[in-house]
Amino acid sequence: MLDQVKQKAKEILEKKEADGVLGLRKGLFDVIHPHVFTVPSELDALVLEPKWLFAKMARAILREKPQAWRLAVIVRGCDERAIVELVKRNQIDRERLLTLGYACDMDQAKACLCSRPFPQKLDAGAAVEGVDPLADERVKAYLEGDAGKRMEMWAAQLKRCIKCYGCRNSCPICVCVPCKLEDDVWVERGVIPAEMISFQIIRAFHLSDTCVACGACQEACPVGIPLMTLQLSMREALKKDYNYEAGLDANRKSPVLFDFAKEPRPGQAVPDWVDSMGKKP
Amino acid sequence: MNPEFIRTICPYCGTGCGLVLKVEEGRAAATYPDRENPVSRGSLCVKGWVAHEFVHHPERLTSPLLRKGDRFEEISWEEAIALAASKLKETAAKYGPDSIGGLSSAKCTNEENYLFQKLIRAAFKTNNVDHCARLCHAATTVGMLQTLGSGAMTNSISDLAGADCILFIGSNAAESHPVLMGEVYKALDRGAKMIVIDPRETPVARNAHKLLRLNPGTDIPLLAGMMRHIVDKGLHKTGFIEKRMENFEALKTFLQAWPVEKAAKETGIDEAVIREVAETYARAENAAIVYCMGITQHACGAANVIAVCDLAMLCGHVGKPFSGIYPLRGQNNVQGACDMGALPNLYPGYQAVADAAIREKFQKAWKADLSDKPGRTVTELINAAGKDIRALYIMAENPCISDPDVNHVMEALQRLDFLIVQDIFLTETAKFAHLILPGACFAEKTGTYTNTERRFQLLHKAVNPPGKAMGDFEILCLMGKALGLAFDCNSPADVMSEYAGLVPAYAGISFNRLERAGIQWPCPDESHPGTRFLHGEKFTRGLGRFVIPDYTPPMEKPDAEYPYYLNTGRVFAHYHTGTMTRRSPFLNREIEDPYVEIHPEDAAALGVGAGDWIRVTSRRGSIVTTARITDRVVKGSIFAPFHFTEARANMLTNPVLDPACKTPEYKVCAVKMEKDHEAKAR
Ligand code: SF4
Ligand code: SF4
Ligand code: SF4
Ligand code: SF4
Repeated sequence: MLDQVKQKAKEILEKKEADGVLGLRKGLFDVIHPHVFTVPSELDALVLEPKWLFAKMARAILREKPQAWRLAVIVRGCDERAIVELVKRNQIDRERLLTLGYACDMDQAKACLCSRPFPQKLDAGAAVEGVDPLADERVKAYLEGDAGKRMEMWAAQLKRCIKCYGCRNSCPICVCVPCKLEDDVWVERGVIPAEMISFQIIRAFHLSDTCVACGACQEACPVGIPLMTLQLSMREALKKDYNYEAGLDANRKSPVLFDFAKEPRPGQAVPDWVDSMGKKP
Repeated sequence: MNPEFIRTICPYCGTGCGLVLKVEEGRAAATYPDRENPVSRGSLCVKGWVAHEFVHHPERLTSPLLRKGDRFEEISWEEAIALAASKLKETAAKYGPDSIGGLSSAKCTNEENYLFQKLIRAAFKTNNVDHCARLCHAATTVGMLQTLGSGAMTNSISDLAGADCILFIGSNAAESHPVLMGEVYKALDRGAKMIVIDPRETPVARNAHKLLRLNPGTDIPLLAGMMRHIVDKGLHKTGFIEKRMENFEALKTFLQAWPVEKAAKETGIDEAVIREVAETYARAENAAIVYCMGITQHACGAANVIAVCDLAMLCGHVGKPFSGIYPLRGQNNVQGACDMGALPNLYPGYQAVADAAIREKFQKAWKADLSDKPGRTVTELINAAGKDIRALYIMAENPCISDPDVNHVMEALQRLDFLIVQDIFLTETAKFAHLILPGACFAEKTGTYTNTERRFQLLHKAVNPPGKAMGDFEILCLMGKALGLAFDCNSPADVMSEYAGLVPAYAGISFNRLERAGIQWPCPDESHPGTRFLHGEKFTRGLGRFVIPDYTPPMEKPDAEYPYYLNTGRVFAHYHTGTMTRRSPFLNREIEDPYVEIHPEDAAALGVGAGDWIRVTSRRGSIVTTARITDRVVKGSIFAPFHFTEARANMLTNPVLDPACKTPEYKVCAVKMEKDHEAKAR
């Protein structure tokens, strides 16, 4: 699969379809870091592991470059979906960006609890089916069952927050300026842990219809708070009620913003995020 | 130009997280977490995420500066180096070698620290070289050397995840070493017990199963009470003690003086709680003790460390995975600065200057005549400034904020005949310099840092220093040559091979082995993978030794005039003297103003409301700061972070030293407070 990706990336540069390819490079002494490849021969040093998402980096690079400059990004499924969401929000100009997508393997999908471990535009590798995150025991413990107990579990986790802003910084979709987490009205400055309702829950709501379940927030969280789990109920609700999934269709707008007013089916309005599993006590 | 992504190491705390700097047009434009770094694995704390922010700050020093009366004038490097060398030589000739002193830096690389101490020792035949470890973990070095034989953290950060009981004593790692807490929480999620011993309800304490808010400075009574209970109950590890320890009888005799009832009285902790915590720790299969400045920064800091070691050894919780003793290192490279011999009594690798055979080895290697007399410590160097010490060379340290009783420090520095300060900003200390040499920050250099778990990690130069500023490595090479030393080292890698040849524990370490994941010393040869935990088969000193910890209550207790205890420390968004973090817009937004934490009842009694300006005064000085009202401090105690130049907590602190290790008692002194009406008006 790696060779296939390298080959296609070289073609992109040779045919001048893009001016640079963003991916991972294995450099001297096997050091791995992000890199913008610009000459085909450089691509021999391309690698695909570890999981490293580029959507936000790609957005930043494109902003620095002249309009005519085009970038190809080597993406996994979630990265592609993140790009789609950024395009929808006019954060990335689709004309200037192309993707080169490859599939994750089952181990990666299990590690990520990913239900779609492949991009829609699949250029390399074979797609595996993925896993249902809602079937995971730990996720279930946080989303199902006694609300009081779950609240305690969440509070114990969120209390660990060291306010690194890593969840926001690493989330490919968290790009608002100004950010509500830096607004004194909501989040008190200078204290940790950040107050859970105004910090993590605000962030969760802001991403409720955009989250592509990439897990970047959770992986960046130094204290291991299950942040992606916080998003899963809402994602599930949108899927169930509106057949909507963030990051799939660049032309379909979020139902929370556009369909919400159009009378959802009775009893099927976008539910409260904590109790959206259809198993209310 | 396309952006480049350069892997390097965070310049702030001793956790040693990996960063990837994004470089655009020669400027560090963003920081990303390094997903491959074995310590941080893709996480950073808030300081790490914005580590690039101060790098291109307009206030960076860009040229050597010479004092002309009240101001500084730019001079060339040739002039600066020639002047520095001639002034130092002159002083040494006039007043003798021991009139020169050097402060090395826990912010600089191992290679720079090695060169710095070599320069002072070889050029001047004095051992007057020290650095800020004196102010934090000298007690650890002294205490652990006597008990275990090595002052280093015994285990690895990742070992914490496997512990069944984690005891925090005087460590607020959630603010001071935030990323490391991830491993602690992994242990908690597995069902481990977490106990915190701290007078303050810190963010760490809020996640613990139990918090023991002991009276300030009563750590030894508490630990002794715990040990007494463990021995009384027969929970100590007899096999381990018989096989691996010495002096157990003496410890037992000592514990006779500490029945749990007495410990309870002294510490203010319930007897039953002391017993329970002692049992939890002793019964755990694997237990770790994490400690920090709350143990070391006391007039009996070294004895506190000894008591911690005694407890761990009594229960056999050393020398195996998932347990051990964790003195968390503050600075990014304070471990390395100690390792590299920036200490007045030790050469690189903790080899004693007083040992003739060792001195001979270094004399041969450095082709220089070396002094056999241990030098002066940080606090002693400053006290003697203008008296026995006539010229001081300070590399990237800021004692005018970090040392206790800074009024005294500022007076002392002004008494010097010649003060050289090498730094990246015009620090509070540099303002007193005769000559300022502009150095480089982490993003501008290649070299290694050693994190708190003894891991050598590589930094890569991402951008050039601003203007005429130069890497500290290059400056030291020029200085060395100007002082007539054979400093023709081409690169940090060369210097590393030099010290690897002189210290058996680093013999197997070289630049190309470090690239991916670093190496934890000891690493005695090139095929050795490095060492995850120490004291496995035997202790570094052979047998472990139970040493008797002598208890000294805090030197200054509240009285009628100064009725409150003052405790000092760090906060999550700033770092030490604030030179870098307070120039970082994101961090400064998070915490802009100095503050002290005051208990609601004390605040009410003084008529102080949240955010009010107050004046805090000790016998040594006075500061104006704001009030944060919180029950995180106990009634009668206040807490002040020490990062703020406009309200330096160290104006207030007591410079009394632990006689064993010369660490000052930062954690306790007596103060009074009043509402400051003038400040409110401005
Ligand atoms: S979230 Fe899915 S697509 Fe993304 S890395 Fe994990 S398995 Fe691959
Ligand atoms: S999983 Fe986290 S990082 Fe990924 S899109 Fe959702 S909120 Fe953002
Ligand atoms: S990544 Fe985790 S610790 Fe950091 S701000 Fe987000 S929730 Fe808090
Ligand atoms: S925990 Fe320490 S090393 Fe890691 S990012 Fe924060 S300050 Fe830097």
